Amino acid sequence: MALPVLTTKLFVPAVRPHAVSRPRLIEKLRDGRRAGRKLTLVSAPAGFGKTSVLSEWMADARRRDPLLRVAWISLDAADNDPARFLGYLISALQAADPALELGAVTGQPGSDEQTLTALINALAASTTPIILVLDDFQTIEAQPVRDAVSFLLDHQPPTLHLALASRSDPLLPVARLRAGGQLTELRAADLRFTPAEAAGFLTEIMGLNLSATDVAVLDARTEGWIAGLQLAALSLRERDDVSGFIAGFAGSNRFVLDYLVEEVLQRQPAPVRDFLLRTSVLDGLNGALCDAVTGLTGSSEMLAALERDNLFVVPLDDRRQWYRYHHLFADVLRARLTGQDPGLHVLHTRASEWYERNDLIEDAVRHALAADDVERAARLIELAVPSVRLSRHDATLLRWLALLPPPVIRRRPVLGVYRAWSSLVAGDVEAVEPRLAAAESALAARDETGRPAHDSAPSEELRTLPVTIAVYRAAVAQARGDLAGMRTHAQRALDLTEPGDHLGRGAAAGFLGLAAWATGDLDAGVRAFGEVRASLRRAGNLADALSTTIPTADMLLGQGRLRDAQRSYEDALGEALRLSAAEGTPPQSTGDLEVGLSDILREQNDLPAALAHLAASEALGEQAHSHENRYRWFVSMAHIRQAQGDPEAALELLGTAERHYRRGFLPELRPIHAQTARVWISQGRLGEATAWARARGLSSSDAPTYLREFEHLTLARLLIAGHRADPGVGRHRQALHLLGRLLATAETGRRWGSVTEIQLLQALAHAANGDTVRALEPLETALRRAEPEGYCRLFLDEGEPMAALLRHAAAAGIAPDAVRRLSGTLAPGGLQAGGSEAPVGGLADPLSERERHVLRLLASELSGPDIARELYISLNTLRTHTRHIFGKLDVNSRPAAVRRAEALGLV
Amino acid sequence: MPPRLADPHRFEIRIQGQLDAGWSDWFDGFELTDGRDGTTILTGPVTDQAALHGILRRIGDVGLTLLSVNPTPSRP
Repeated sequence: MALPVLTTKLFVPAVRPHAVSRPRLIEKLRDGRRAGRKLTLVSAPAGFGKTSVLSEWMADARRRDPLLRVAWISLDAADNDPARFLGYLISALQAADPALELGAVTGQPGSDEQTLTALINALAASTTPIILVLDDFQTIEAQPVRDAVSFLLDHQPPTLHLALASRSDPLLPVARLRAGGQLTELRAADLRFTPAEAAGFLTEIMGLNLSATDVAVLDARTEGWIAGLQLAALSLRERDDVSGFIAGFAGSNRFVLDYLVEEVLQRQPAPVRDFLLRTSVLDGLNGALCDAVTGLTGSSEMLAALERDNLFVVPLDDRRQWYRYHHLFADVLRARLTGQDPGLHVLHTRASEWYERNDLIEDAVRHALAADDVERAARLIELAVPSVRLSRHDATLLRWLALLPPPVIRRRPVLGVYRAWSSLVAGDVEAVEPRLAAAESALAARDETGRPAHDSAPSEELRTLPVTIAVYRAAVAQARGDLAGMRTHAQRALDLTEPGDHLGRGAAAGFLGLAAWATGDLDAGVRAFGEVRASLRRAGNLADALSTTIPTADMLLGQGRLRDAQRSYEDALGEALRLSAAEGTPPQSTGDLEVGLSDILREQNDLPAALAHLAASEALGEQAHSHENRYRWFVSMAHIRQAQGDPEAALELLGTAERHYRRGFLPELRPIHAQTARVWISQGRLGEATAWARARGLSSSDAPTYLREFEHLTLARLLIAGHRADPGVGRHRQALHLLGRLLATAETGRRWGSVTEIQLLQALAHAANGDTVRALEPLETALRRAEPEGYCRLFLDEGEPMAALLRHAAAAGIAPDAVRRLSGTLAPGGLQAGGSEAPVGGLADPLSERERHVLRLLASELSGPDIARELYISLNTLRTHTRHIFGKLDVNSRPAAVRRAEALGLV
Repeated sequence: MPPRLADPHRFEIRIQGQLDAGWSDWFDGFELTDGRDGTTILTGPVTDQAALHGILRRIGDVGLTLLSVNPTPSRP
């Protein structure tokens, strides 16, 4: 029941057999295109032969250039829906030139501008000349569609020529094109038949036996208006009293069309006249439909006969299945239909019924509305809701809803909820809840027999409506930044879903996950997104299921699970590869997944591999990136440049990232401006970083929230760097104060990734104050947690202060594996390069971490058994440790060991 | 600020050619009178600008030539 692309709308009209050839006009059009002008505009009122002259031009142009392709769209009012218009545009161009590479255009939904850009790129990549004709452009009033055509004009590839036919001048920058010599125009004065053309038409083509005077009288009376001359010719066919007719016509003041249509109709047998009048309510004519509307049979033959008699029917396909009346003729017929039996409403209702039977719901709705049968229209619109939403033709649905009286919508909760959703996407958050509440009470209302008192028909949509309402409430809460409300409504939606309602479960779990994430409850967030992924997969939406990898991996990183994050990216990329092979185009998230994996490899300090994945992401092209995640590529590249010691390049890339940033559904946890401030701090540009912190209203006494954690950790770095530059103020105490509170919050939330970074900064704060001993304690915890996950850049990006601290750690034998691995990556010559900072009398055989822990306890007042209890080990094991320590320190008593350890700075 | 129109306002629209009264429904119930000079005058209430533009478009749709559009004083 999706709204199909009607090929009849894309049919290039053939040159009509009874048409006058118009070489003077064709030549003008040909010259215009040959001169490279962008636009041809045929602007004249109804009945001036606009379509005919364009189809003659197309036939002529194709004869001259067999390579030329013609794309033709006959527009109507429904094409004011931009999604629909773009759909026809793509189909028309693809039908005209099957070789056009439009995979990138149709592969993924994007903004109108993205779609157009991809379309223009595809056209620019082709060398085949193409003319795009937009007929009946006067029906286009919607700004987004006009914008789309303007955009096309502004970025028109040289192979494309655009031709518009319109009854009124289009609301496009026509004056600018005219002034720039980019416009070829045909107007009413050009299109009017000259006396010679009128003579040629009436005598040669229509075969009428008319004198030169008769022709001149008819031409003058119709003022060269082609529709008038055609009707006059039809009236004159097989008429005996030619001069009598012409005299009567010339002597009448009646409107030409009125006079002539009446003449033509009068000359038709009654069944033909009735057929013409009754079927004039239809925009498209086919045999079965006309049978249904007229209540007769044999309409197919009637239509064929009308075409033969040249009675203003226009074929819409090659197989003569669909026709339409010439617009002007149809309008005059409709004007005369009033007062006839059956009346207009009955005819429209019959048409609506036929369309509904044939599953063409959009047309069924249109005729129901024309019949003023709002109940019928409302029922049909409800039926169309799921398919219209899938095809994203929302503007169509909204236009319909606007035509329904509010009480009708109120009695149909399905429509009420859709209306609420439309307010939500329009950004009118305030309007959503009243509409949801109204729909909810309509849903709950019961009549005296206990049955539902609303009008919505039983459907899947209706059954899952309580879930939908709760999901939209969660969305409203999100739009308001109300995380608690978001969680409550999302949980309620999840509780209400039935096991089989995968999309409902996915949406609810998504909001639940986002709320948990933004509040820093990453365990719950990861769980919820696991549910989203599973639901999307069960619903068959593998591409969207893949895109849940990005928020999931972000949260895993917050939990310090670098390896799990890496695995989830690798698995997702494998899946993306399989989908890509199966469907020909990579799923939209593929590029984002490559970026995510690159970022993890960079953290592991494998910069060549990180760069390779960024390159792979770029090579996939624009369509393999979600709009919302595009900025991440530039951020990742900035991190690599920073790691390579090129902070200026990093800053430039962060600037580009800022321009690509789009506020999406995901919480903004690592704001780009804060990342910029971190680069400044690394460069010693503390003034700029301080100005940033002030502008963001950051203070070391802020209450810690997860949404500001990244900014607060940036502030801590700024305070530490400030203390190094100017120790007098004691900024390191502010930093430690802030870090202490951040640590408590992060530990409560079990966000071990955050905890590691906080402890690393605590170490740097102590070190900045010259307190190396106190620095080593949080550093050791951080290193020990980070080591098995393979963290590297987290430490290395802190530069020389961290390198110095790691040298102390090496000397003290702290977390030796981690220190050794990090030292291997520090240039030049690793940790030992610091010279004066080299460990005091390094040990040939360094102490293990466990041994160092034991040594610290040996330096205390604790007894042997107390120490064993403290370490949860047996006394025997403690003795083994002690023996090893004594051996490495080359001592043989506890006091000697403590003395030696103090001398070496190990305790 | 654009001039405000009394609501609803009556308009008098003059077109080329004579139209019989059968066209009244097509023009949303406007009254048709013979202008006696080969023109027809359509008179009727217009609720707002959109309605006025709608009528003008219907005139264009059937290829009628528009001569003039004038507001007329509201009837008592």
